[in-house]
Amino acid sequence: MGTGIARVAALNKFNVALYDINETVILNGIARITSEMKTSVEKQKLSQEEMTGTLSRIHARTKLSDLSHCDIIIEAILEDLRIKKDLFRHLEGDVKPETILATNTSSLSITAIASGVKKPERVVGLHFFNPVHATKLVEVVQGTQTTEETMQRAIDFGEKLGKTCVRVKDTPGFAVNRVAQPFYGEALRILGEGIASVEDIDGIVKGEGGFAMGPFELIDLIGIDVNLAATQSVYEQFFNDPRYRPHSIQRQMVDSGKLGKKSGKGFYNY
Amino acid sequence: MKSPSIPKNRLSVFIVGDDSLVDEYSEIASGFNYAIIAPDKINSLKPIAGKISIALELSNLDLDRKKKNLTALDKALPETTAILSSSINVSALDQSQWIMMKHRLVGIAALPTMIRNSIVEVSPTVYTNESAVDVARKFFLSIKKDIAIVQDRVGMVLPRILCQIINEAMFAVQQDVASPKDIDTAMRLGINYPSGPIEWGERIGFKQVYAVLDALHTDLGEERYRICPLLKEIAAAGKFWR
Repeated sequence: MGTGIARVAALNKFNVALYDINETVILNGIARITSEMKTSVEKQKLSQEEMTGTLSRIHARTKLSDLSHCDIIIEAILEDLRIKKDLFRHLEGDVKPETILATNTSSLSITAIASGVKKPERVVGLHFFNPVHATKLVEVVQGTQTTEETMQRAIDFGEKLGKTCVRVKDTPGFAVNRVAQPFYGEALRILGEGIASVEDIDGIVKGEGGFAMGPFELIDLIGIDVNLAATQSVYEQFFNDPRYRPHSIQRQMVDSGKLGKKSGKGFYNY
Repeated sequence: MKSPSIPKNRLSVFIVGDDSLVDEYSEIASGFNYAIIAPDKINSLKPIAGKISIALELSNLDLDRKKKNLTALDKALPETTAILSSSINVSALDQSQWIMMKHRLVGIAALPTMIRNSIVEVSPTVYTNESAVDVARKFFLSIKKDIAIVQDRVGMVLPRILCQIINEAMFAVQQDVASPKDIDTAMRLGINYPSGPIEWGERIGFKQVYAVLDALHTDLGEERYRICPLLKEIAAAGKFWR
């Protein structure tokens, strides 16, 4: 997701330092941005100049000390609390005192990520959605120690990327991944209770509800394992509140290797 | 026992129930040349009973009234006239215990705003005659809707999913996770919902949403369906005031 964010920031005239320990990962990322943008140019959604300009503003960086000039850092690394805390702790000595430390986490607590640094007031959640270049929303998440100034600067930054920012308090699942839980959870229960089939539930949700995708099509697209992990994370962070309890169907699908579209089999065959 | 059917020459529908649903269904059905018989005729059905081709009972909020309406319809209408009854908050099977001619009753998912889309959920009971399901199918086809047959369970499919999403959105508002407007924006832009859950709840009517959740909570008996106190307040006050 980091490359998607880099692309949008560079397109909107920011100089971007794209960091990874491994240079090949960065170069692959830049290659991906290049090929995606070429397609957009062919479809005349983007000009050649915009593409060249964007790519010229993305710089590969493999040392954390090379990031010291940055005004905002956005981490989109592994969803692992310890690794994220370590990264911010290492970075905070290198960067300017006013640099914002933003995390693109979708499932971890901003407050917890901020708990390892000396100035937690500058840590904020900037939660982008896939695909980053096409999705308008950014959740700007306020940890318990994030200051209003940091929030405002993070929102200004998001708006400069052409995004619509919503202010969200640091709570499990934030707004989107929490409010969307019943979309999956109730559909799974309705299926489990034999009320309607996968195809019928998806058809009803689209045809009667006007949703673009049915819950099972969407879970297959997200990945049944990824969806289960997200559900489980919200469930555990709410100390097993039954409203967020995963369903045994999810676990069984994952156990049988049916992970959705990416594995060729899920609720549907691909 | 004669099977329910739609007479070819007369196309009049009797619609009774919650105001918002009666208005919506009447508007759409009259757009397809059905003659609509006003709901207040429920008290004097006998003289017009022969004119009624199909009866729709669309009460979700007041189940005592629903029972009275169904009983009156069952007594007055010839056994060939099908009754399509909203079965979101009380199963069609439970409703069929209120009437004599159980074969003519078919459950449907009637929740405000949903008839504006292209599919209607239909739930036959163990008693429902196949030809009554056929009447439902033909009626909805004639107003350009497809039907999806689902098991006769409280909440059916979309009302259960959607009302639980609205409930969760209200819990988030109550907890001050984000403003109602921001939650709506987030769901529309972040994962492409056709409408924000709170504005959707307003259009459906929070009283209606509350009634679905209350029925689910009672029927399934799970903590999962506990109603957000803020949603309860808004359902009682009839509006969203924050």
